[in-house]
Amino acid sequence: MRIRERLANIAAVEGVVVALIFLAMIIFFSLSSPYFLGSQNLRNLFVESTFTVLLAAGTSYVLIVGGIDLSIGSVLGVSAGLTLLTMQKTNSLPLAIAVGLASGAAIGLLNGGLIAGMGINPFIVTLATLSIFAGGLNVLTTRAQLIGTPSKSFASLAQGSVFGLPSPVLITAIVVILLELVLIVTPFGRRIYAAGINDRAAHMAGVNLRRLRLQVYILSGAIAGLAGILLASKLNSVQPGLGSGYELTAIAAAVIGGVGLSGGQGSVWRSVIGALFLATLSQGMQLLSISSTWFTVVTGISIVAAIAFSRMTQRLAATVRPAASPPEPTQPEPEPSEDRTPAAAG
Amino acid sequence: MSFLPNNATVGQRLRAAVTSPNSGVVSVIVLVCIFATIKSSVFISVNNGFNIASQMVFILLLALGMTIVLISGGIDLSVGSVMGLCAGVVAKLMIDGVPMVIAMLLAVAAGAGLGMVNGLIITKLGLPDFVATLAMFGVARGLLYLWTAGTPFLDYMTDTYFVIGGLRRPLGYLTVPIIVALVATLIVAVTLRFTPFGRHLYGVGSNSHGAMLSGVSVPRVRLLAYVCSGLLAGVAGVLLAGQTTAVAPDLGTGYEVYAIAAAIIGGAALSGGRGRAIGAVIGTLTLAVTANAMNIAGVDPTWQQVVTGLILLLSVVLDRASTLLRSRVVQIPIQPVAATTAATAR
Repeated sequence: MRIRERLANIAAVEGVVVALIFLAMIIFFSLSSPYFLGSQNLRNLFVESTFTVLLAAGTSYVLIVGGIDLSIGSVLGVSAGLTLLTMQKTNSLPLAIAVGLASGAAIGLLNGGLIAGMGINPFIVTLATLSIFAGGLNVLTTRAQLIGTPSKSFASLAQGSVFGLPSPVLITAIVVILLELVLIVTPFGRRIYAAGINDRAAHMAGVNLRRLRLQVYILSGAIAGLAGILLASKLNSVQPGLGSGYELTAIAAAVIGGVGLSGGQGSVWRSVIGALFLATLSQGMQLLSISSTWFTVVTGISIVAAIAFSRMTQRLAATVRPAASPPEPTQPEPEPSEDRTPAAAG
Repeated sequence: MSFLPNNATVGQRLRAAVTSPNSGVVSVIVLVCIFATIKSSVFISVNNGFNIASQMVFILLLALGMTIVLISGGIDLSVGSVMGLCAGVVAKLMIDGVPMVIAMLLAVAAGAGLGMVNGLIITKLGLPDFVATLAMFGVARGLLYLWTAGTPFLDYMTDTYFVIGGLRRPLGYLTVPIIVALVATLIVAVTLRFTPFGRHLYGVGSNSHGAMLSGVSVPRVRLLAYVCSGLLAGVAGVLLAGQTTAVAPDLGTGYEVYAIAAAIIGGAALSGGRGRAIGAVIGTLTLAVTANAMNIAGVDPTWQQVVTGLILLLSVVLDRASTLLRSRVVQIPIQPVAATTAATAR
């Protein structure tokens, strides 16, 4: 086998190209700034990225099952607020964590109930709950002073470290690994893929679609709740507007990693790579002291560039790969696709 | 959907009204109006009607463009940012002494151009609509921040511009923004119903493969849909710059959500192939009436976001309930979707 073909085979695996772009970016930043690979910076980078990583991991479940959850940003905010409030009122860490997770799961239940139970479009349902609970956090923050708790154990949740690893990173890593395993090993995970690829076929094969979708939205809400708990612990204060915009970052991360918006395609680790990609990009730009007004511009362009580049490589790889090409490998026939329609007159 | 005989009984008519499309939304508007009328005598007055109309113009223009994009099966998250950037273009050009008409034309052209960039990224590079327009959302917003350097553009208003922005009203209640919105609604309605492009939009949105097979250039139709959306955002930007008399870097933030919500409340579907210009008007009216009623009734501003979300949720839930009821009570022979699509595509 020629090297070209081998390379093409590797590049054709979804997610590999983005991972390579990610590596190239790390190399670029570490050459441009001596501080980039410093332990303090890497620590910051990982701690900062945990929230996006968690949300992106939850989002990949929702996207794979064929839905979308726009409410996760405001779920994060509300859960952070309620966690801190519980901590202030009762000073009980387990209760605060339970409240944070339960509030996330409850909003997930509301989303899932309307989407799976009534068959309403997930985009519009979660857009509405996004607005409701972002507003809910506003109301909450005007009623209560959500600044600080004296509890050390609560602060150590996101500021401490275990075996030299920052604890939020450890928690996130465990959750992400669990989520990935559940998705690829268990029947539950296979049902999610099946429902995302073809829900009618999954239904005929005996999958209870309503229950499955409900479970996925509850899971997504609970994970956003967990991210909220960690963020509340890290900031030790909750302001109105906390978490807004996180949903778009999480979805962008998943899509950069190669999770499809139409369902049935992707995995947790790919979303995680996408999230790390975005976090590294913003951290690297800060280190190179690029003005923060450039952030949104550079981020937007690099999202498009990364996805376009990985698409192009895959298309190229598909033409080089012997398996995908017709008998004459020099002049492969392009696959007919919706993108290339014949220019026939209407 | 009045397929009723002329001698229909009151019960039949009532049932048809309850199950007609948009009945859920219309009932929400009626409920909100009743509530506001009881709360305050100011609500039902010519002056307040004019207020509502002036408030809804900008969202209506964006919602019309969004409806076109949604019909074609896409989504445009960038309209708020594009509207802001176009307002910036017209303000900056007029500060630099460019004649007003040329500045406005250039701003509208900039909107159409940004829409075209969206469309090209989607059709040529094959990026998902959500991601491409999310990137444009960030890039256009970032460009306005960079361009304004954080301080608003000021001192560009001329006497004519006060009239165009609707701040001076030589024709009484019929201000220029309201006239423009009426004309735009009419043009979009006629285009969707009576032109080949309109039929192609529905064809591409409901069955892109079928549309392609019947000779429609799918990428061209999708590209044009984004150009329309960008163009309307440009027009909205020109009018908005005239009404605000200053272009702040965050002008238009969050409008994309209102536009999407309005289009979907008005019956456009995210899955494509559905939507009407009058739907965009009804959807925008719902949002504007709700916001206005809350202001008049003196609802605490912190609660307004919550109520907006609840209204959004209520109208989709009622619409869904009406659809379920319709499928049970009204026996209209259902035309096969594929047949209508093929017919419209030709």
